[in-house]
Amino acid sequence: MPLDAIPVVVVHSATNQIGDNAVLSGNAPVLLHEIAELTRKLLDSGESSAIDLRALPLTPADLDWLREALGQGQVAATLEAEGESTLSETICPGVWWVTHHNENGAVASEFIEVTFVPELLKAHPDDVRIGLEHLDLLISDLSNDSVST
Amino acid sequence: MQGPLIDTLARQGVTRRAFMKYCATLASMMALPPAAGRAMAEAMAAAPAAAKRPSVIWLPFQECTGCTESITRSHSPSLEGLIFDAISLDYQETLMAAAGHQAEEALHAAMKANEGKYLLIVDGSIPLGLDGAYSCIAGKSNLEALKEAAKGAAAIVAMGSCAAYGGIPKANPNPTGAVSVSDIIKDKPIINIPGCPPIPVVMTGVLAHFLTFGSLPELDGKGRPKAFYGETIHDRCYRRPFYDQGKFAKTFDDEGARNGWCLFELGCKGPVTYNACATVKWNGGTSWPVESGHGCLGCSEPDFWDAGGFYKALSMPADPLKMVANAAVVGAAAGVAISFANRGKKSAAKSAHETTTLADLEK
Ligand code: SF4
Ligand code: SF4
Repeated sequence: MPLDAIPVVVVHSATNQIGDNAVLSGNAPVLLHEIAELTRKLLDSGESSAIDLRALPLTPADLDWLREALGQGQVAATLEAEGESTLSETICPGVWWVTHHNENGAVASEFIEVTFVPELLKAHPDDVRIGLEHLDLLISDLSNDSVST
Repeated sequence: MQGPLIDTLARQGVTRRAFMKYCATLASMMALPPAAGRAMAEAMAAAPAAAKRPSVIWLPFQECTGCTESITRSHSPSLEGLIFDAISLDYQETLMAAAGHQAEEALHAAMKANEGKYLLIVDGSIPLGLDGAYSCIAGKSNLEALKEAAKGAAAIVAMGSCAAYGGIPKANPNPTGAVSVSDIIKDKPIINIPGCPPIPVVMTGVLAHFLTFGSLPELDGKGRPKAFYGETIHDRCYRRPFYDQGKFAKTFDDEGARNGWCLFELGCKGPVTYNACATVKWNGGTSWPVESGHGCLGCSEPDFWDAGGFYKALSMPADPLKMVANAAVVGAAAGVAISFANRGKKSAAKSAHETTTLADLEK
């Protein structure tokens, strides 16, 4: 049974509608300082870092606030591996918002990565080698084909 | 199975990126810094899967099979499942096809063939009353079976709160004289994986650690792997900001409850409970008790059944019998509870909390 088949109704109470103040904890703006610090480190030493958003006391509204503040940059990549992962650069180049979903579509982990390119996007030399083998195979097929025609 | 783990996984259709993603998530669950995810991925990818396919023997004692239910939920199509395949589960009553004498033979054959090397997993507590007659398998008391199997084990995993601390069977008045594994076995390394039931991925995570590093993870004072039990539910609870602001739900259907405020006054034991629910969640990451609107019961701590009541705030006196006699005191304590709405007062909550071993408030 899909989860939405369970008839749960969210009742928005008056305080909920007063606005985001009801659920914002004030912990998100502080994070901007940390992100700035990590960005400085990236520029100075080239060292990448990450913030585990699940390890911090952030409400869903805090996360929305942060997401909105950092915005959506030019690059967004999707990885299909045991559930979808999205890696999108924010309007601050080098600051990436990384969300891993599991097979059920639930968020399994969520990070802010401060790096030129997220590790997950780079191809590993071992995998590149396998790709090369495949290319060689394609090429040899090509010459086989030309012989037969 | 040969070659590094990553090759084994690749043969099963798991890509390197899927594996890196798994490690990043595992690191987050283990409360490790994000960079640890990459280090783990490298170590685990290179680890030889072949040499270390240890024999695992799983003995069920005084238990409800909830722990087995939980573990099997983790692992049909998922990556943890594949890592789980890297062990040889030689005896598990619920999962094995063999029964009766056949099963007993499998058990003894595995114990003999892997003497000194197998990993023994135990779920359930061990009753000592009536010479152990309360729980027997194949005519042998749990006590005898545990001692026999422990002798040749490299290490023992006490799976679930019953094996780790006695659990429900040990709850007052403990009619069967139930005790934990560590109450009986003193000469083997014992890893406690408490929880009622434990989170599936914690179990597979400990196994992954064992397989990749060939060693047991670091344990805390209660014998639990620090990686998963290093922080309290409260430390990573998404309702924590409301606790810090002193915003509490007072009933399960009031304004505060609807706004998702802190459940401390409704009896949440998150502040004294070390477990990974707040990050790992349950049912494949769908939700977890506090997210569903119910406080933490403290199920991964010793004697949580006798901690004074699931719906009583931690700062209230714990002994339910005394509660009746001292109704006036209870009223006073309820008032005090409200002022505990900040971290600095943790120790005040501790002294107000009478007998329970749960009151491990200092982090
Ligand atoms: S007391 Fe419970 S609900 Fe409140 S912040 Fe702590 S863990 Fe979360
Ligand atoms: S939230 Fe608390 S009681 Fe519930 S499963 Fe987790 S540790 Fe156990």
